[in-house]
Amino acid sequence: MRYLIISCFFLIVNCASYPKKQELILQNTTLNTITNSYFSDVNQDYVYKAAIDVYDNHFGGLLIVKKIDQGNHRVVFTSEMGKKLFDFSITKTDFKVNYILEQLDKKLLINILKRDFTALVQENSLVNKSFTIENNQVFQTSILNKKHYYYVSKQLNKIVRTGSLKEKVQFLFSDISNNIAHNISIIHSNIKLEITLKSIY
Amino acid sequence: MRNIFIFCFIFISTIQAQKPMNSAEALTLKNLVKQQAKTTKTITSQFTQYKHMDFLSNDIITKGNLYFKAPDLIKWSYTEPFTYSVIFKDDQLYINDEGKKSNIDMSASKLFKQLNSLIINSVKGDMFDAEEFNIEYYKSGENSLVYFKPKDKKSAAFITAFHLTFNAEGDVEIVKMIEPSGDYTKIIFNNKVLNNPVSDALFNH
Repeated sequence: MRYLIISCFFLIVNCASYPKKQELILQNTTLNTITNSYFSDVNQDYVYKAAIDVYDNHFGGLLIVKKIDQGNHRVVFTSEMGKKLFDFSITKTDFKVNYILEQLDKKLLINILKRDFTALVQENSLVNKSFTIENNQVFQTSILNKKHYYYVSKQLNKIVRTGSLKEKVQFLFSDISNNIAHNISIIHSNIKLEITLKSIY
Repeated sequence: MRNIFIFCFIFISTIQAQKPMNSAEALTLKNLVKQQAKTTKTITSQFTQYKHMDFLSNDIITKGNLYFKAPDLIKWSYTEPFTYSVIFKDDQLYINDEGKKSNIDMSASKLFKQLNSLIINSVKGDMFDAEEFNIEYYKSGENSLVYFKPKDKKSAAFITAFHLTFNAEGDVEIVKMIEPSGDYTKIIFNNKVLNNPVSDALFNH
């Protein structure tokens, strides 16, 4: 019986929601939308040297992000030598593959990239709940029907996507100046996938 | 006054615009380039690469050095704005990505072999294979401009045309690779030196 109670206790703890596990403190907020302004300037070409590490394979290339107009981004990955590997158009409601190399044209992979890049470039998101922890304000929002938590201190430092209560993907922004995050890491915890971006201009 | 300017502008544009070569001129160029390619044992050159995509405000500019040693060793070494090099050697692609080394075995890839010979031939300028390409010849001032359009559908899905610009000596100065979307990669060679000794060690991984 005692073991059963202990087991149930662990089960409950494990089932606790992300904010509970992270010990986020619920707060009232008047903020309706949260902004990610790192890809918000239509006059800026955002060009990153990219490293993609997936299951012990390493790919390099350039990730290019361009805001075409409000709520519309183009995300293109090329090799260093200029060969286009994929080219997506992303809006809040639509995701279009303009081009993808035959070898990469896999539904599962495209779906992962769709979720990652939509969360990366989406400029304005509706706030559902807000929390605090240490120096951060944390805003919960929903992107493609998944909960995302935006960690903001002086600026947006981190986005965490959760799925079935657990942390699934972290987007870390650092070395920030003039509204550009010069270093970005996208780290998956349920699959061995990490995308590292370093601004080159 | 304004009309004079417009006239001058049109006049200058006409001079610099490309004109199709006649068949004798095309043959002369072809022989000159083939001769040049045959005597080229090594190439060292700086290059500037412009990646043009229509939706961008500016082309993405990268710079580096190219090393070629006959018959088939080639190294592209990018130095700005990042360090990255790729060596084509013995059916392998050796990559050094800011110190992170890797290699890809391409021995089974027919497309890679085609790509490799295409790169070597475009660096040397010798792509005059009428079986593989539809070829068009133009004059552009002192220079010659040749369009190579792959006949093979698989190749054409990657690159619809290679535009090579040759100087009066038959040396390739600009390689422009145009994708089906119209976006292109343009590589301009400068300070090109032919047939200086190039050490094999340069192509070690």
